[in-house]
Amino acid sequence: MRIPLALLALTSSCFSALALDLKGRIQWNEHCEGLGELGQTKVVLDNGRLHGGVTQDGTFVIPEVPAGTYVLSVLAHDHAFEQLRVDIFETETLPEVRPYFPGTPLNPPSTITLPYPITLTARGKHDYFVPRESFNVLAMFKNPMMMLMLGAGVLVLLTPMMMKNMDPEVMEEFKERHAKMSGAQSALQSGDLMGGFSQLLSAANEEAKGATSVAAKGPSALGAKQRGGKNKKR
Amino acid sequence: MRHLSLFLLCLAACTHALHSYEVGVTDWHKPLAGVPLVQSHSTAPVFHRRRYEDGQTSSVVLTATQSNVLAAIHSANGSIAWRHIFDDDDHIIGFKRDTDIVVALSGPGGANFRVFDSNSGHLLLERRLHDLAAGRLQEPESLGTSVGFGAEEKEKDIYVLTNGHTLRRLDRHTGEVRWGWTAPDQTSSVLYSKIFVTLSTVYLLGLSKSFASYTLHVTSLSPDGGVVVYSGNVPSSIKTGFSQAFVLSDVSAPDTVPRVVWFEDGKIKSLELAPELTAKPATVKGAAYKTIEDVGLSEYGQFVAIAENGSGRVIKLTPEGLKVIWEYSDSATSPTRTGSIYSGGLDVDGHPYIARVFWAHSLKTMSAHVFASHLAEGKGLVTGYTFPFKTGEHGIIRHVAVEAANPEHYRVLARLAVTTTTGAVQMWQKDQLQWTREEGLADIRVAELVELPERKIALHLDSEHETFGARVARQLLDAQDFPQYAVNFVRRFVTGSYTSVSTPVVAPTNASEPLSRDAFGFRKVIVAATPYGKIYGIDSANGDVLWSRVFGLGWAAQVGGQIIPAKLFVTRTVNDGESPQVVLVTQRKASNGLVDTVLFHVDALTGEDARRQSPSNDLLQGEDAVSGPLVEAFLLPTDAGRAVVLLDEFLQVHLYPNSDEVKAAFAAVAPSLRIPLRSGPPGQRRLTGHQVPSEVEFTGLHIAYPTWSLPFPTGEDIFAVFARPTDPVASLGKVLGNRTTLYKYLNPNLVGVVTGPPSTAPLSEKATCGVYLLDGAKGTIIYHAILPSVGGRCDVKATLVENWLVYHYYDPEVVVNQAKGYRVVSVELYEGRGVDDKRKSSDMSSLSNATTDVSVYEQAYVFPRGIRTITPTSTSYGISVKDIIVANENGQIQSFPRRFLDPRRPKHKPTTEEAEEWLIQYDPVIPDDPKRVLSHHYQVAKTQKIVTSPALLESTSLVFAHGLDLFFTRIAPSNTFDVLSESFNKPQLVVTIAGLAFAIVVVKPIVARKKLRERWYD
Repeated sequence: MRIPLALLALTSSCFSALALDLKGRIQWNEHCEGLGELGQTKVVLDNGRLHGGVTQDGTFVIPEVPAGTYVLSVLAHDHAFEQLRVDIFETETLPEVRPYFPGTPLNPPSTITLPYPITLTARGKHDYFVPRESFNVLAMFKNPMMMLMLGAGVLVLLTPMMMKNMDPEVMEEFKERHAKMSGAQSALQSGDLMGGFSQLLSAANEEAKGATSVAAKGPSALGAKQRGGKNKKR
Repeated sequence: MRHLSLFLLCLAACTHALHSYEVGVTDWHKPLAGVPLVQSHSTAPVFHRRRYEDGQTSSVVLTATQSNVLAAIHSANGSIAWRHIFDDDDHIIGFKRDTDIVVALSGPGGANFRVFDSNSGHLLLERRLHDLAAGRLQEPESLGTSVGFGAEEKEKDIYVLTNGHTLRRLDRHTGEVRWGWTAPDQTSSVLYSKIFVTLSTVYLLGLSKSFASYTLHVTSLSPDGGVVVYSGNVPSSIKTGFSQAFVLSDVSAPDTVPRVVWFEDGKIKSLELAPELTAKPATVKGAAYKTIEDVGLSEYGQFVAIAENGSGRVIKLTPEGLKVIWEYSDSATSPTRTGSIYSGGLDVDGHPYIARVFWAHSLKTMSAHVFASHLAEGKGLVTGYTFPFKTGEHGIIRHVAVEAANPEHYRVLARLAVTTTTGAVQMWQKDQLQWTREEGLADIRVAELVELPERKIALHLDSEHETFGARVARQLLDAQDFPQYAVNFVRRFVTGSYTSVSTPVVAPTNASEPLSRDAFGFRKVIVAATPYGKIYGIDSANGDVLWSRVFGLGWAAQVGGQIIPAKLFVTRTVNDGESPQVVLVTQRKASNGLVDTVLFHVDALTGEDARRQSPSNDLLQGEDAVSGPLVEAFLLPTDAGRAVVLLDEFLQVHLYPNSDEVKAAFAAVAPSLRIPLRSGPPGQRRLTGHQVPSEVEFTGLHIAYPTWSLPFPTGEDIFAVFARPTDPVASLGKVLGNRTTLYKYLNPNLVGVVTGPPSTAPLSEKATCGVYLLDGAKGTIIYHAILPSVGGRCDVKATLVENWLVYHYYDPEVVVNQAKGYRVVSVELYEGRGVDDKRKSSDMSSLSNATTDVSVYEQAYVFPRGIRTITPTSTSYGISVKDIIVANENGQIQSFPRRFLDPRRPKHKPTTEEAEEWLIQYDPVIPDDPKRVLSHHYQVAKTQKIVTSPALLESTSLVFAHGLDLFFTRIAPSNTFDVLSESFNKPQLVVTIAGLAFAIVVVKPIVARKKLRERWYD
């Protein structure tokens, strides 16, 4: 009366002789270390009518899958998995597994085939939150705008001191140049483009000239000026 | 308007996402298991003591539930230890526990076999035992399936009986089938239903149907190879099936020969189980019996027999046969108490206890008598006590599971896990209530969010006539709070701790204060009704039950019945000046088959009967509005307030409240009503439009008459009819980048219909599903799409808001480019033939021909996954962008921004004009962004419906999802543009200003000195 195992298996699957139990496993990795982290998870084909649950050791079996082309996906709550294209044939051959990207046509199939039984790994853990922007003085000063402002502030404080220590002749020149530049700037601002340009150009020319002339004049003139300055102060 | 919408779009562009600090503050999640299935021993709640490796034990209540969940609930605190959610079409048939594992069978005939770790709930094994189509459906479902464990000390194998005739021995760890045995005569009438395993033999108990009763059939097999030793009938005649036949054995006395016990014609018969079954049936001598009950202690050799007079007796298996060891005193049938529930349980050491629980009418309390057979030197000891079960709040006890402790001699401490008719699960430790789980909330049928009134700050009574002294006294009294106010003001000013959108909405105030809303209107009352005859008021701030009422059955109380909620309407809101009220429309199905429509009218804040018919601590009695089933119900705002309009099966119009004012107001608006109703037999479904005449018939009721009819194709049945929510529409048009306007098609009679093949029809690949938009006033089809079915099944989810229709389906297409997957289609309807074609559809006469002048913009997208329900957000003025919220099959509540679903997304790089509208280039795939998962780590399982409701803040919409779990959160589709941003940094502002002030202080003398010097030296 006892019926052999094979016969029993046959009777249980007599309705779908061509169906196959699709097997695979989820490889635990650093994103997902076990079923406790993964939670109750299903591996589904297409819209989920055929599915299998992930067991504690990561394996899953989707029973009685008829021949056809399917898209396999993992319904995990907190983890991301890739989708696969699975072809199951009417013959005894093993299913073909290929990577699949959602939204792309299934045909032509990808040329890459993956081994069977299917191995899946978590590609990452979903991050649901955005970090809070908290007040941080250091971060505030790391902001380039802030740094510029700080730099400008330092300059404002330092310029009078630098001016004080500067050589009077250089100072004179600097003032001159500054006046020209500001003149050009104001001209530009007022819309007189040509005038501004010509002023800039002339300023540049004179600068070149001035540089040579200063070098030519030598130290005497410099000394006289210095003395003059000193006299004035006293 | 244009600038505003641009501004909002700009805001929408910046992604809104959750902050981790908002978890549990702005949202809450109540995981539920569902109402325990108590009809069968194999699914009913049972205590299970878990043993850990360090020798510690803890106890859980294991149960299978009506929501198709297998759950373990901590006995100590009532939280869920673990739960496994089964698919909707994979019914749990039963489970059986061993020390460290739980085995569950599910599906037709027990097709799916699963093994769980009893401590963690992890799935250890999953196996399909037979093809689903080969599964035999039995009534009850548990018939023909059984699970047994081997009799060895350790490494017990699992014996599984499925489909009534197949027995398998499976390895405990691998699930590998060691051997299988199938009854040779499957066509015969023997249906096996029980397994009993000893070291030497596996017994299968079946019933074979004979002329008027069943005959017990026993087959014994060898456990090693599954070889049949003996198979034959036992001379017996059992009337009621397997509820009164079981095997008794005693684990504490392994030498005692196990017996099969059954009930036959007022007698208890038993037969010794030996492999060859040579013994003759014996009868228990003594009184005549009414019935016998397996109380879950058959492995401990005890069961309860009810004598003719109703008194309960405990019968024990002894080496000499069955023996009555105890008779519960005062357990005979009596008008002073209800019938008793018997339940067996164990203590830590494995001693059996049997509890008898009944309601004493005279004392108005529950009584429990716990019998312990091993105490008092083996003579047996009963501990009796009463416990204050609130029957007005939780209905009647339907099932009791018991666990006992024996801390000292002659003292028994019993713990009862009680399941009630209203779906509550309670834990009583002696007479102390440990915890209550309202599992009925796992099956909410209708829910509505009701706004709360403002807090009354000061009451100025009669200020005209008060004397000077009284006024000074009052003002002094009022002024006593001033210092506190001033302190608060300063603190608020300095620290910037304003009420923000992410602060908890319930201030820790005293509970006696009446319910009031918070600053932004985030706090509401969720009124929800369940088919377990209960209506709840839930605080949306934290999910606590504020009040609950149990429905009275009215006249049906005599025969019994069930009240099934159909619709819930808010008939009075806080804007009407008084406390808000709701009307629940229900169908009462009496046990004698009569169906009535009953209304329950309650105060939403307290749960008091608004009709003042039932006292507050008693059952809530409803009003029988229609004696007959309901066809349609809707809320009609009239001049005399909001009225509930009910249509019965003869299309008679019933009104509630049925006052003369309401009648007159209804008669005035009746001719303008257009009511589309489903009609026709299955296979010839049609939608028929109805109108109501202003004159009443001789019965005093208006009778609606059909005006148009829209037949659907023969292969299409109506699955759902949906309409646009009644939210206000802020703008009638959409200004485009080129300064033209598309006017929204806002026909108030627009209804959507989802169709699919009738459930009676055979599944066919060719079947199609359909989505229609109809003019509900005259039946014109305005939009129609034919969608593919998946093997003859349709699962189309659709929602309509303003002029925007969104539907979701699965496309199994394998023809053109083979890109199967989920699709979402976004459809927008605009008036006329194009831009600047204004037809005023929102207040157009329904007779106008212009209602069909519609231009349709639509676009299909690939959706990341399947969904369970879909709903748009809802805000108080409709200015904010409408997002789409879905409950996906991963147990997440996720929002999808309108920008991605916009049907006008260009297929090319957006031009400047399109960029001005914030349109982004078409991309077929809608991104699956975890940052938009509103439910984040919460697993919101089996969501049936999402209810959205506006807050006082225009930017924010409240979201309540119910199904198995309850989940509440809020969402700002256009960001919170009407409150100071969460990220606004007051300290930074203060520091900057302080820094500048400091700089001024430092620089000022320097500048002054410099100026002075310049005066001197220049």
